[in-house]
Amino acid sequence: MAVALATGSGADGAFASMSRRRSVSLSVRDQELEKVQESTDTSLSLQIYADGRFSSHGTNDLRPEALEAFVAEAVALTRALEVDTFRALPDPARYATTLPELDLHDPAVEAQALEDRLETAMALNARVAGKDKVISASSSVYAGYGESGAVSSNGFSGMYSSTSTGMYANVTLEGEGDRRPEGGWGMSARHLSALLSPQEIGDEAMLRARRRLGSKKGPTAKTTMVVDRDAATSLIVRLLGPASGGAVQQGRSMWADKLDKRVLDEKLSITSNPLIPGAVASRPFDDEGVASFEMPIFERGTLKHYFLDSYYARKLERTPTTGSWGNIIVEPGTRDLDAIVRDVGNGVYVTSWLGGNADPTTGDFSFGLRGHLIEGGEIGSPVGEMNVTGNLITLFAGLEEIGNDPFEHSMFRTPSLVFSGVQFSGE
Amino acid sequence: MSLPLHRRSFLQSAAAGSAVLTVPGVLAGCVDAQRRGVPTSPATAVTATPPANPFDAWYGIDETAVRRAMTALASRGADHADIYFQHSRSNSVSYQDGIIARAYSNVTQGVGMRVVIGERVGYAYTEELTPEALERTAKSAALFAQGSPVAPPESFAAVGRPDRYALEVPWSEVGVDQKLPLIEKVATMAAASDPAVEKVSVHWSDGEERILVATLDGKLVSDARPMTRLRISLTAKKNGQTQSGGSNLAARDGIGFYTDERLRTVVEEARERTMVLFDARRPRAGELPVVLAAGASGILLHEAIGHGMEADFNRKNTSIYSEMIGKKIAPDFVTIVDDGTLDKERGALNVDDEGNEAQRTVLVDRGVLVSYLHDGISARHYGVEPTGSGRRESYRHAPLPRMRATYMENGPHTREEIIASVKNGIIAETFTNGQVQIGAGDYTFYIKNGWLIEDGKVTAPIKDTNIIGNGPETLRAVTMAANDSKLDTGGWTCGKDGQGVPVSQGLPTVLVSKMNVGGENRA
Repeated sequence: MAVALATGSGADGAFASMSRRRSVSLSVRDQELEKVQESTDTSLSLQIYADGRFSSHGTNDLRPEALEAFVAEAVALTRALEVDTFRALPDPARYATTLPELDLHDPAVEAQALEDRLETAMALNARVAGKDKVISASSSVYAGYGESGAVSSNGFSGMYSSTSTGMYANVTLEGEGDRRPEGGWGMSARHLSALLSPQEIGDEAMLRARRRLGSKKGPTAKTTMVVDRDAATSLIVRLLGPASGGAVQQGRSMWADKLDKRVLDEKLSITSNPLIPGAVASRPFDDEGVASFEMPIFERGTLKHYFLDSYYARKLERTPTTGSWGNIIVEPGTRDLDAIVRDVGNGVYVTSWLGGNADPTTGDFSFGLRGHLIEGGEIGSPVGEMNVTGNLITLFAGLEEIGNDPFEHSMFRTPSLVFSGVQFSGE
Repeated sequence: MSLPLHRRSFLQSAAAGSAVLTVPGVLAGCVDAQRRGVPTSPATAVTATPPANPFDAWYGIDETAVRRAMTALASRGADHADIYFQHSRSNSVSYQDGIIARAYSNVTQGVGMRVVIGERVGYAYTEELTPEALERTAKSAALFAQGSPVAPPESFAAVGRPDRYALEVPWSEVGVDQKLPLIEKVATMAAASDPAVEKVSVHWSDGEERILVATLDGKLVSDARPMTRLRISLTAKKNGQTQSGGSNLAARDGIGFYTDERLRTVVEEARERTMVLFDARRPRAGELPVVLAAGASGILLHEAIGHGMEADFNRKNTSIYSEMIGKKIAPDFVTIVDDGTLDKERGALNVDDEGNEAQRTVLVDRGVLVSYLHDGISARHYGVEPTGSGRRESYRHAPLPRMRATYMENGPHTREEIIASVKNGIIAETFTNGQVQIGAGDYTFYIKNGWLIEDGKVTAPIKDTNIIGNGPETLRAVTMAANDSKLDTGGWTCGKDGQGVPVSQGLPTVLVSKMNVGGENRA
């Protein structure tokens, strides 16, 4: 209807997407229910093409008379802008027609009773609350389900249902003096059956919190850095962010002019795959209605594709790919973390980052970190209040090894990563 | 809305104990757009009241339906209950590659309903503004409760409030034709600011939200909150190198905010911050004395102490500051305030999102920790008055204790004295983001631009350096504070439990004797 309203108001083209989601979340703290939240969200977003001009809009006021006024105003706003010759709807040949079955909807998520969700949250909480040194432990359970769909004036129409559900636990412990170290862990999935048990999730959260006990400032040194699979995700995100069409075209990308060039160590291959059945970032079509496909971003260290939507593809005079990320798969190595650490001998093992940033144009970065010293081939005493500083391109040129341990349920399947000659700031 | 996004926001909101602060893009907050001291007393309050029948006038709902919803909300017991109506409208316009060819508009409305029993909360919201939907939503918010009904008020009585950011012309009446010339002007100035500038983009946004809070004890409080922000991003090329940077400014103000002087200043900041990167390097790695330049360096307070003073963490005993009220935590010259009363500031509020009047709250008085930031739940827990700090991103969220504008008052030293006292250290000027672990007290912030200090003199520029430290340790290590306190004018957004709210921050020039500086040592 929005597309019809838009073209009726004088637009030449329109792309409308709608979503409706229902969600429930529960949190339990120290074995008492703390918060229950229920909600239904409905939203419409609309892109308008009129006289060579473009604008986009969003609303959740879907009463017919309100929507009509909203769309008429949106078309009028579009006409006040300047002509942008690079704006056009995608080539209809690229639209998804028959949607692949991606197993994104689990009726069990939708059907679960509130009491069952509460029982899960309590079981998760029981695994961590009231244990030795625990000041407070909270756990939460989330479930959401709904439909997403889109329609365009040049022939696209698609809709799919999906579910997601997750669990998370967080633990605060008595530390030294006033310090209350904390840690947590959780996961999400499309299917209820894909979630690990509350016990496993609680144990991982507790382990992560306990590892912070007695944490000391680490040394200022140039040494080997082993990044665990969870922390590795954020480094991979920093590599992929500047591969977006907008960043490249605006000159705010370390990957500008680097397509088909070897830019990273050849051990590294990264693929975006939105077609893995049941995976959290799978989807049948992207934000523009283009049929999903698997796309290598880096292949043996060579930059293969940018994330290019139709607009930035035209501006860069390249073939469009997709502007949307799928599941991000880093090709794993062969050895596990223990074997890797044994060989590294001495260095720093990073379990999580705290703050920091990277300049997408130059790759210069500086991150706060928490983790452990690696001493004599073993994971040793906990360290924190340290920074690691360098340049992403140089860092990844010194990529020594990739582990075999990606977490299969995550959107980011990143194994442990090992880098040599990394600058740490500590005491 | 994609599913992965939902998932991420869930995980983010679940990761209690960690809070982040960011400015949009890769940009640093502004330092110096508006030269002035931070006022030390609240601005004069003018009382404003909502229209006679605001439910109907603003949302097309009659008061009977709201009372009926309140009845359902309190039907299974309640120590407190509130119904939060919100309507927000925003617009943005962007300039890129020489043309203004992108605009975005958004309208969002909904009603959030909350039941509080002790420290337990039931929450539900609806985006459908009908009497039936309100009642249904109220029932689902009340579902967790198991007590006996509490009678709703006979009627809701409008409560007056201050008027700190009323606009002569609301944004809804400002046409895009009035914005385009300003955007064009800024873009043209930015493009001409240096021959090395290759790309200029300008992002303009404005909007207003209207809220109405009806409480179980019969209060009816309204607010209308404007917000605008202008951001400039530059990409420059010199000797085969590319650098990008920018600046931004924000306020609860109208189109009159964009004076020629402010526009010139923000362009000049963007140019300076970008061009200096060509010569900037990293300081040496390790512990160094750090001078925090007046203004945006208020990020130190936000991370090192502000979050830890939010009373929800303290009533749960999960903050490093949980047992420090009344204790001396910093030198005598340190007074730290979180203030919602500053006219037109980004972090200003007339009332918070529970309907309590926003206050000026002294967190640290001459070195002694004196008050947490309270919402209704924590105020009842501690038996104190709320501080007007109960904020929420939107009707989609229950309120939490949050900061507003956090700053340190003037100290006894001068900037010159402070710099002259440093033999080998750095001065930090602009920042992109910060984060804190509430319980451990470890915080970080990221310096985008700064300078080395060598033998008491500011020398070479530095960039991209993370700072990490421990809140209470850092406050003890504040050895000097100057008499030049001021607020930053950048558009900071604070994230906690998956909710973003606009905040301000400020600082005088301050010396911290030792901080961990993310640097690089030559091999």
